[in-house]
Amino acid sequence: MSETVLDVRDLEAGYEPGVPIVRGASITVRKSEIVVVLGPNGAGKSSFIKAIAGLVPITGGTVLLDGKDITAAPAHTMVRLGLAFVPQTENIFQLMSVEDNLKVACGILERREIPARIDEMYAAFPDLMRQRRTAAGNLSGGQRQMLAVARALIVHPKVLVLDEPSAGLSPKFVSMVFEMLAGIRKSGVTILLVEQNAKAALAIGDRAYVLVEGKDRHEGIASELWNDPVVAELYLGQRPSHASKGGVA
Amino acid sequence: MIDLIGYGAFFLTTALIFSLVTLGLNLQWGLTGLFNVGLAGFVAIGAYTSALLTTPDDAARLGGFGLPILVGWLGAMVVGGIAAALTGMATLRLRSDYLAITTFGVAVVVQLVALNAQKLTGGPFGIGFIPRPFGSLAEKPLLFNLSNLAVVAAVTLVAYLALEHLSRSPWGRVLKALREDERAAISLGKSARFYRVQAFAVGGAIMALAGALQAHFTGFIAPDNYLPILTFQVWVMLIVGGSGSNLGAVIGSILVWGIWAGSGTLTSVLFAPEQQARAASLQIVAIGVMLCIILLIRPNGLFGDRLLRPRLGKRAKVTTAKSSSGS
Amino acid sequence: MSLQFVIDGLLTGSMIGLGAIGVTLTYSILRFSNFAHGDFMAWGTYATLAVVSAIGATFGKVAPIAPLSFGWPLLVALVVGMAFTALLALLLDRVLFSRLRSQGQAIIVVMASFGASMALRSLLEFTFTSRPTYFSRAIQIAMPVGFGIRITPDQIALLLLTAVLVLGVHLLMTRTQTGRAMQALSQNAALARIVGIDVASVVRVTWIIGGALACVAGVMIGILVQIRPFMGFDMLLPMFAAAILGGIGSIPGAVLGGLIIGLAEAGAVQLIGAEWRAAVSFIILMAVLFVRPIGLFGVRER
Repeated sequence: MSETVLDVRDLEAGYEPGVPIVRGASITVRKSEIVVVLGPNGAGKSSFIKAIAGLVPITGGTVLLDGKDITAAPAHTMVRLGLAFVPQTENIFQLMSVEDNLKVACGILERREIPARIDEMYAAFPDLMRQRRTAAGNLSGGQRQMLAVARALIVHPKVLVLDEPSAGLSPKFVSMVFEMLAGIRKSGVTILLVEQNAKAALAIGDRAYVLVEGKDRHEGIASELWNDPVVAELYLGQRPSHASKGGVA
Repeated sequence: MIDLIGYGAFFLTTALIFSLVTLGLNLQWGLTGLFNVGLAGFVAIGAYTSALLTTPDDAARLGGFGLPILVGWLGAMVVGGIAAALTGMATLRLRSDYLAITTFGVAVVVQLVALNAQKLTGGPFGIGFIPRPFGSLAEKPLLFNLSNLAVVAAVTLVAYLALEHLSRSPWGRVLKALREDERAAISLGKSARFYRVQAFAVGGAIMALAGALQAHFTGFIAPDNYLPILTFQVWVMLIVGGSGSNLGAVIGSILVWGIWAGSGTLTSVLFAPEQQARAASLQIVAIGVMLCIILLIRPNGLFGDRLLRPRLGKRAKVTTAKSSSGS
Repeated sequence: MSLQFVIDGLLTGSMIGLGAIGVTLTYSILRFSNFAHGDFMAWGTYATLAVVSAIGATFGKVAPIAPLSFGWPLLVALVVGMAFTALLALLLDRVLFSRLRSQGQAIIVVMASFGASMALRSLLEFTFTSRPTYFSRAIQIAMPVGFGIRITPDQIALLLLTAVLVLGVHLLMTRTQTGRAMQALSQNAALARIVGIDVASVVRVTWIIGGALACVAGVMIGILVQIRPFMGFDMLLPMFAAAILGGIGSIPGAVLGGLIIGLAEAGAVQLIGAEWRAAVSFIILMAVLFVRPIGLFGVRER
């Protein structure tokens, strides 16, 4: 068993005191794994992952990254600590060029390292290279997701955390995004993602957790989870559709 | 003793006129959340309109038309209301800051017109011989002051009761809901905007009425009466009293005017005549600092109902949706 | 009409534009319109004046740099004044604005800035009285440059200074990491934090730039017109109008907006008279709000 990168223990979090949305959820992410967090609408998946990234106030539990406690760290220090987050929506600076979107994320890199790092991203995502001078708001849905991921990867994160990367994309782009994530993992990056699209996510994931009412109810190998009756009853019984995508998940 | 009563009546009359302006501002800001930093302009519009309508004919300028005082007041409210409605229509579909900037501009332009359009406003020397209610009593200052106080108090009371009624009506509830969520108010589109324009116009009319009352109380107006300091004083009155509460608006006005007049008297006693202009600016500094401190430590004022948000964002949104669909 | 209004307009426009940069940055990054910005101008100017006097008292009379009306003391004082104004802005943010911002109601911050504006301006009146004062009472000879236009060496120098400063700020905004962070914060504050931008430090830079440029604009007014406690407050409406005309958040927009308003004011002074000057910015402001509220270079809010 390889080393643990991200260790979340009994996390409690919510926007209003006394009204926790995440109620004691625990997960573990090991090096070079893809871990998927699933759950029905309103299960607190999105709040869970945002709390890890420092965007939702945490009221209990701990978050350890490489053994270091990052529970109380402000959101803007997460990149430096090694956690890069890709939000579900509005995850690019629309009025800035593709290249500036990448550059603005390089705050923690050495100045002379930046051009080479940007070239590496262009090599990994040739589409972005072609559109480097375009305002990011003019990109297609899939390209935006690509830019958001590249922007997160550029700082060599220990773990890449994504909130529903397939949300709002057309089926063609959905498979493209998941192929992209599978490719990124091959290069050794650890990935944690929350998804509504269980089938596609489980297809690329190593392990998965099912979150219900703010707690982790089930853990398993991704490929087995798809056929697990308990999971099917908890969650997969009501197949998620894109139309019913929840707001405050 | 008689002097004291006379001064008391004089003081209270001025304070109540301020209360009326503050009530107008409370409708705009306290109830509806519309930010008016140019209210001195609307007060001036009322004062000049009424003066123009009621003064005897003057060869040097347009009018006066020698109409009854009540017609002057009515005219003041109409013109003030229209000016406010136009301002609102220009800006209420945009972010609230734009309204603030525009009202600020209105005050600047009104001041400019008052100073420079001599044919209309008498220029820097202003307009005199404005008829005073009970002018025949001017020989007996006490009686004159008391009767003026009675008139101003009556008008303020009527405005107060009307506003209390309005704020409890369905109309007032919609305004409150819109106040809580600017984004919703903008996205709800035309109907919501129309509500807010109405509130802004009524508030402007009340301010204009207060300007007219003041003009007829002193019998003389000049551009200097309507400088930004007036806007500032009224804001402090509202914040001290607590935005959202009509009672707070009245009490805050009397309180702040008391502090203002008191510290003014104090400086005139303490400072040599040639230093008084400087001392007066120190008075403004003190009030400015006071405003900031109140905003920092007691943003609800003494009687405010304006709930401080962060946590209420979501709930307010729900109310907005409900009340606007129901209206 | 004489073409002289072009020079007058460019100069007024430079003052407005330098001020409007601060207004537009505060608005787009801190999300409130700062009514105290004009008073930063006035405070910066008085601070510069104080340093000039202090230098004069220490070193005696210093000859001006020919053909300008001022010598090195003013240049040194300007730098000190810019630093002072930036500190003043930072201080006001620390004790007032940042605390109110954290309560989450933008318009309360606007109101506080209105109160602070009153207090700052009256404090100047208390200290220096409302009598106008000057950096130099020397009269400069304006040189004819053709087309009936005359210009003084001071005016040329100040126009050049404006151009350099505007170019500098533009490069800072578009070519440096700090500038990109400022753009990012104004476009999407939540995402800015996620990509590792420290909001507090960007806010500090915003105040420093806004304060320093306000001081320069004020000193320009002081050199070319006069120094009064109300000098900044009177610039407030033109600055807001310029920022909105140019499109909130756009530096080139703020400067262009300032130049347009400056030229319009100078033209109006020739055509209808100086007393109506202040109405020009209001008319332009209303026109923009009705026709194109996002301004020349603006983008629709998300």
